[in-house]
Amino acid sequence: MNKMSYYINGLGIVSPQKTYDNTDFLPEIVAYNNNVLSCIVPEFKEYINPIQLRRLSRMLRIGLTAAIICTRDSGNTKPDGIITATGYGFLNDTAKFVSEMLDQGEKHLTPTFFMQGTYNALSGLVALTLKCNGYNNTYVNRGFSFETSLRDAMMYLDEGKMQSFLVGAYDEADEVQYKVNSRVGHYKTKHTNSLQLFNQNSTGSLQGEGAAFFSIESWPGGNCWCILKGIKMIFKPGSVQFLEAELKNFLANNNLSVAEIHIVISGLSGDVETDKVLSALTTQTFRQVPELRFKHLCGEYCTASSFGFWIGASLLRKQQIPWGLQFNNASASFPVKNVLLVNQYMGRNYSFILLQACE
Amino acid sequence: MSGRIFITGYGIITSIGNNADQNYQSLIQRKCGFGSLDFLDTIHKHDLPACEIKLSDEQLCELAGVSPQHGYTRTVVLGIIAAKEALQMAGLTTDEIRSAGLLSATTTGGIRELESHYYELQNKDRHGDFELYADTANPGEHSERMADEFGIKNYIATVSTACSSSANTIMLGARLISNGELHTAICGGAEALSKFTINGFNSLMILDKEHCRPFDISRKGLNLGEGAAYLVLESEEQVQRSGKKPIAVLAGYGNTNDAFHQTASSPDGTGAYLAMRIALDKATLSSSAISYINTHGTATENNDLSEGLAIEKLFGDKVPPFSSTKPYTGHTLAAAGSVEAVFCLMALQNRVIFPNINYKQKMEELRIEPQKELREEQELKNVLSNSFGFGGNSSSLILSVV
Amino acid sequence: MDNNTQTVEELIPIVKAGIIKQLNIDMTPDALDEDMALFGEGLGLDSIDALELIVLIDRDFGIKIGDPKEARKIFQSVRVMAEYIQENREK
Repeated sequence: MNKMSYYINGLGIVSPQKTYDNTDFLPEIVAYNNNVLSCIVPEFKEYINPIQLRRLSRMLRIGLTAAIICTRDSGNTKPDGIITATGYGFLNDTAKFVSEMLDQGEKHLTPTFFMQGTYNALSGLVALTLKCNGYNNTYVNRGFSFETSLRDAMMYLDEGKMQSFLVGAYDEADEVQYKVNSRVGHYKTKHTNSLQLFNQNSTGSLQGEGAAFFSIESWPGGNCWCILKGIKMIFKPGSVQFLEAELKNFLANNNLSVAEIHIVISGLSGDVETDKVLSALTTQTFRQVPELRFKHLCGEYCTASSFGFWIGASLLRKQQIPWGLQFNNASASFPVKNVLLVNQYMGRNYSFILLQACE
Repeated sequence: MSGRIFITGYGIITSIGNNADQNYQSLIQRKCGFGSLDFLDTIHKHDLPACEIKLSDEQLCELAGVSPQHGYTRTVVLGIIAAKEALQMAGLTTDEIRSAGLLSATTTGGIRELESHYYELQNKDRHGDFELYADTANPGEHSERMADEFGIKNYIATVSTACSSSANTIMLGARLISNGELHTAICGGAEALSKFTINGFNSLMILDKEHCRPFDISRKGLNLGEGAAYLVLESEEQVQRSGKKPIAVLAGYGNTNDAFHQTASSPDGTGAYLAMRIALDKATLSSSAISYINTHGTATENNDLSEGLAIEKLFGDKVPPFSSTKPYTGHTLAAAGSVEAVFCLMALQNRVIFPNINYKQKMEELRIEPQKELREEQELKNVLSNSFGFGGNSSSLILSVV
Repeated sequence: MDNNTQTVEELIPIVKAGIIKQLNIDMTPDALDEDMALFGEGLGLDSIDALELIVLIDRDFGIKIGDPKEARKIFQSVRVMAEYIQENREK
């Protein structure tokens, strides 16, 4: 049972929406039409020095930039630990290395692509940039990667010897992965306007990407975005009844009932099959509560819940719901205190993340 | 939850044996798995020998008790073989397995299968059995596949921090138990050889075409290997309830980052020193309490110097006997931490110190030398196991007699 | 023209362009002085760059360098590289 509060004292996110400026909260929404949502990136030179920049792949630049935005936001460049999460890693570099390897008969291969394709390249790079010798880990378990990373940081904060963690999540929209994973139904077969994602009644979702970093600390800083209260992961729940029971249990462990949730952020993906259980849960359990969705903004990827987490943190801090997020007619009553993020990935990895407004 | 973290079972498959007993026999008989590659289709099969498990994918499936037609990657099959042995040794009940956590590590997952079918998989007009491997290159797949095999749903995690990966799963398992989230954690890693890793490491010019020589002045690099190993960790409470006799205690662990370079270790071994230091602090042991160090010892110029200096700095005049077992098994990457943790458990159980085979001459920069011969009848109390990897990830474990 | 007869002066701009491309350096060839130290003080390249240059020199000129330490001597500057290539090239 989580007795502690974990304060989100800084964040940084680069995504398919214009999110890298923390002063804004989705003043406008960018739509995509070809099933692939790619990051809108800032000028990297403003965050990364040129000597470091030249060797970095696109996704490493995006990831490091998100980390630096976060540390500038929190003012903490010496966390006790750095944990990153990803589902598929640096796909582009891996694909480049594999293609070169196959096309060139295993000759004249570029070491940089291999090196940058390693899953922990970002956690290593952030540690190198911040000169941080602290705890360092990378979790790569599909739709639980981000949640596992957060739980790891929370456990360390519970133990009391460490007080601050930088937790990041990233995944890349890659062309090879799009083709290959289309075979297992990950993506829509027809080009779909992202803003119409939830009207399709078809299988598959959109390919997304992004990198988000959060500064999680055991004390409320002056820059507190929100409080992380608890996380629960459920693997293959099987039925909405099981999921509902888990949800009620999770909330009770955090001294809350369903009625005390002010906003639900739902990780529906637009895939009519894999969304079934989650859709039933939010419909029957949260009828009177504003339901926000986010995968029409960022696409689907293993660590997309980090985008949802950012939405929750932002709305708790700014006490506003941007246009284009809410998908039911329930009115929000401000001030909003308890926000629940419920996510699912490919009908297998379900998670609940409970966020609260800072005191 | 207070209480010690016990290890009650382990399982292993490497190029020197398909199970714990075979591995142990090879270790004491100085039999290594180094040679050319029979089961991987690469131009380097002869010029970049490695430590390959001499079983085809079909033979491995048979050993694991799974069908070769169901899209199990070689990494997953190795994992299943080793995990099954660990569960059996630990004597876990069905309920205990169901409520356990599975924490597994890999750097490649199904990349061996992806590279074999790379262009077919991208061509939607091509069909065949290879389609079963469409979503297996991500590391999370191997853990979920193994979890399905054992009926585990309670807690699944996958770590990928290069060479320190499976050591980190063992640490996570211990912490989840200490935190009260689990009573049982199955921790370890699995790694199959692939063209991807062979060519990747070759492009970094850290492979030795000959049998590797850790801590030797003439060392030229590492040999790759494949394998899997799992440890069963249980809470003290659960072990006492069951009345079973645990094998060892996970007394300490440390995880740090070297923060020096993306692939090279710092010349003074900062990350290595800190990881060992933190592990000792966690175990509330002084350095003099360590009876044997199973080093990371990859035989790259860089690692052995870095690690050797860190050991000298930490232990001063009293460096305990140490050896690298990588000349036996090759560097099994993500599985190395758990493979070598298993070797440490064998050392404790059998009271032996394994030799650093293929070693001849001392490095100039170090005062110390590894163990050249097998030492038996040893009074071993606490054993330190090191795993240091790319990205600066450095982890150390301390295993102790009960 | 047969590449194998290129002089050191002719090779210098080719080597510069190759380095800039392979190492993704944000610099024009004119700004890269052929006598400037490539590693350490100077351009500030590191061990991974050395490996990349080994790939370049093998792929473009057929010269295999087996020892990264030996490579550092060859890669001291653009001019030293061009001289080495002129003497040892296979293509």
